[in-house]
Amino acid sequence: MKRVGEHFGGWIYAVFALILVCVFFTCVCLGSVGIPLNETLRVISDAISGKPSPEAYSLARSVIVPIRLPRVICVALVGASLALAGAAMQGLLKNPLADGSTVGVSSGASLGAVLAIALGITFPGLPFAGTMITAILFALLSLLIILGLAFRLDRTLSTNTIILIGVIFSMFASSAISVVITFASQHLKSITFWTMGSLQGSSYRNALVLAATLAVAGTVLIGLSRELNAFAVGEDNARNIGVNVRRVRLTVLIMVSCLIGVCVSIGGSIGFVGLVTPHMVRRIVGPNHKRLMPASLFSGAVFLMLSDLAARTLFSPRELPLGVVTSMVGAVVFVIVFFRTRRR
Amino acid sequence: MKTTIRIMALVFAAILVVSSAACKKPADTTVRLTDMTGHEVVLEKPAERIVALSAADCEIICALGAGELLVGRGEYCDYPEEVLNVPSVESGGTTNIEQILALNPDVVVMSSMAQTKEQVRVLEDAGVAVVVSDAKDIAGVYSSIELLGKLLGKDNEAANIVSSMKAAFDEIAEKKFDGTQTVYFEVSPLQWGLWTAGKGTFMNEIAEMMGLKNCFGDVEGWAEISEEQVLERNPDFIVTITMYYGDGPTPVEEILSRPGWENVTAVKNQAILNLKNDELSRPAPRLTDGAKMLYDFVMKSEVAQKPAA
Amino acid sequence: MLEIKNLTVRYGDLAAVDDLSFSVSEGQWLMIVGPNGAGKSTVLNAVSQGAPYTGSIQFDGKDLSRTSASERARSIGILTQNHYVGYAFTVEEVIRLGRYSRRGGLFSRGKPEDSRAVEDALDRTGLTELRRQSVLTLSGGELQRTFLAQVFAQDPRFLLLDEPTNHLDLIYQKQIFALISEWLKTPGRAVASVVHDLSLAKAYGTHALVMHHGRAAVYGDIGTAMDPEKLNEVYGMDVAEWMRGMLSQWQ
Repeated sequence: MKRVGEHFGGWIYAVFALILVCVFFTCVCLGSVGIPLNETLRVISDAISGKPSPEAYSLARSVIVPIRLPRVICVALVGASLALAGAAMQGLLKNPLADGSTVGVSSGASLGAVLAIALGITFPGLPFAGTMITAILFALLSLLIILGLAFRLDRTLSTNTIILIGVIFSMFASSAISVVITFASQHLKSITFWTMGSLQGSSYRNALVLAATLAVAGTVLIGLSRELNAFAVGEDNARNIGVNVRRVRLTVLIMVSCLIGVCVSIGGSIGFVGLVTPHMVRRIVGPNHKRLMPASLFSGAVFLMLSDLAARTLFSPRELPLGVVTSMVGAVVFVIVFFRTRRR
Repeated sequence: MKTTIRIMALVFAAILVVSSAACKKPADTTVRLTDMTGHEVVLEKPAERIVALSAADCEIICALGAGELLVGRGEYCDYPEEVLNVPSVESGGTTNIEQILALNPDVVVMSSMAQTKEQVRVLEDAGVAVVVSDAKDIAGVYSSIELLGKLLGKDNEAANIVSSMKAAFDEIAEKKFDGTQTVYFEVSPLQWGLWTAGKGTFMNEIAEMMGLKNCFGDVEGWAEISEEQVLERNPDFIVTITMYYGDGPTPVEEILSRPGWENVTAVKNQAILNLKNDELSRPAPRLTDGAKMLYDFVMKSEVAQKPAA
Repeated sequence: MLEIKNLTVRYGDLAAVDDLSFSVSEGQWLMIVGPNGAGKSTVLNAVSQGAPYTGSIQFDGKDLSRTSASERARSIGILTQNHYVGYAFTVEEVIRLGRYSRRGGLFSRGKPEDSRAVEDALDRTGLTELRRQSVLTLSGGELQRTFLAQVFAQDPRFLLLDEPTNHLDLIYQKQIFALISEWLKTPGRAVASVVHDLSLAKAYGTHALVMHHGRAAVYGDIGTAMDPEKLNEVYGMDVAEWMRGMLSQWQ
């Protein structure tokens, strides 16, 4: 009898890593400005070893190292974070239509960013980070408000209460954004561009913030796979088999909020990844979070990198908003996966 | 007795005034014009209570010396500063017809947008004349100035503005650059995704007029473009229209600090111009100011660079 | 084993359970019966710490409100009547969740006794063939057996059942009760269950608690507690006559 473990075997992780590396290099090598492969590799190795590149490679060096590389890294990390957050929320709330934005943290972060733009909030010593820090603060503040209200209504912090408050809070935050835009009409331009979501101009500093958040929140969330399985089977059942439902729920919500807050603050609101990636992955690897979580992490990164590649190159020199591409590509991929798995 | 005489005198005076007004009217005050969507507008006399929804029309009306006739403005009208005292109404996609009617205007001036047709119908049903201006190039700006001049009975002033604009542009075009230098117009900064002005924009037309090449002249209209493309196209000059709110780095400093941009010629030479007040994006008389500022900036940089080169 | 004293559960102004005391000892199967709205399920909710209560609920002398969720789960297994699983987990995955409270540390891959317990539970409930099947494709009886197997894998000493055979066919009712009564044969175990069917209660129970308006109308061993007189009073009808009438249809 063949024993199939709940976890992936090591070789599957090796395949994931291989695909990830291949897609990553493809995305670094292809772009709106065509740069030959040997130049790309040369300037990257030069940058790593700290050597100056030959004069003839100066365009390659200034395109690849400060611009394309950090952007692809940020895109991969944002994709991984959004997909992981989506998978965790879909399990926790036992609802395949949930994602990181369901708890309202996403709109809260957007509101923070829009306010920062409208009021010109900056932090001393961090000239470019005003919007980002405000967005993260607002993401956490939103979670506090949502949980505080939910706790007042219902001391057991039940899933339905949290979804309800989350949806109400989202609507409130969205209308607050409209109000801010109405009153801050002169800043409107940057606000509207911002809400469309863009990872242009991502820096290594952004990548570092994303990586640190993902390292912490990702480890915690993947470590909670078993508990998420229990929630996905049913909240009462989870309590009956000995899951500390309140503590797990709080932990998941806080981790998801951190991920979403950081992603929104850096990339704006990018839809579809958090909703569709876990959904598609579940159809392939099954609902067990011990497989679903790592698979979502990898697929989210790959999916968003490819979407961003399309956004950058399809209509070059123009660039498409990333959210537009994720929705279009995501819908098509979703239909394909849906029918493939149904036929089986 | 006395009161009767008084009343009779009043009535007589009133008749006199009314009849004299009635005699004069058909002779010279009727305004007939065709607006820029081909729509015929007839007014019994030049407009006296005007609501201007677009910022450009607002500027033109003030430039014609009729700023005091404005009873309402669109929310984005911000130049000249005096118009900020005029009550503002919601404009654009969410144009608030009720707010406009409450101001009791005899003419509403608006620009052409997707919703315009419907809005025009509603306003005209309410008995308010609507004039649509729709400048897509500099010639179009001249037309809208003349159109509004006619509407206000200020044809002469309009002709003056147009001819002085033409003179200013001619002066620039006469001593234009040799077409080898490139300029990149930045409409939205990197943080929000780079947007530029391509073919069919005022910035492009003005750059061409003064013999500068728009880096993104191959792109249609306003468009989001890749950061990498700016580096590859390596502009000699950068014009950013980002506003500065007095905190953090200025738009110019921000561009200078972008990683990877240090090899861009404009960044190396610090040849970055910040036009803060929509001088080059609004179809209004100030286009000439913007054009002059850009011309002088390029000229000055050239003088500064030449001896060094 | 389980000792409940002065239990009161309030929903707003209404006391769903009102000053209730009872206990269950090793080897006993307590049947909690009574008309709808008598507060039977609420008692179980309180024991599983799913509803706020006053009074004390002790297991082996320890207050349940002060024991951790996983320690409680190692002592008490709970089987409810309805299951709606959100995703296509396999039968085996659902059963394996029963081992949650006996898990090792974070990221541990599970101990050999976990697999043994799962195999045993699959075997006992006759689900070995269906182990890889999605729970979304199971019949009502198979699904209830899956969750019974989960409780078995959990390996508690006390089973708490909330109408475990509601909505099930006669054959499944019999199957489930037979499985539980088999489980109870191991020393050191006890069962408490809420049941609707008085004849099932009488056939399998050792003790009975008849509830009425949140209070204990009768409490004692099954023979004396299921006294027809008292039942008639609680249900407001002649229970025995009704049962006889139902059975006579078959003779």
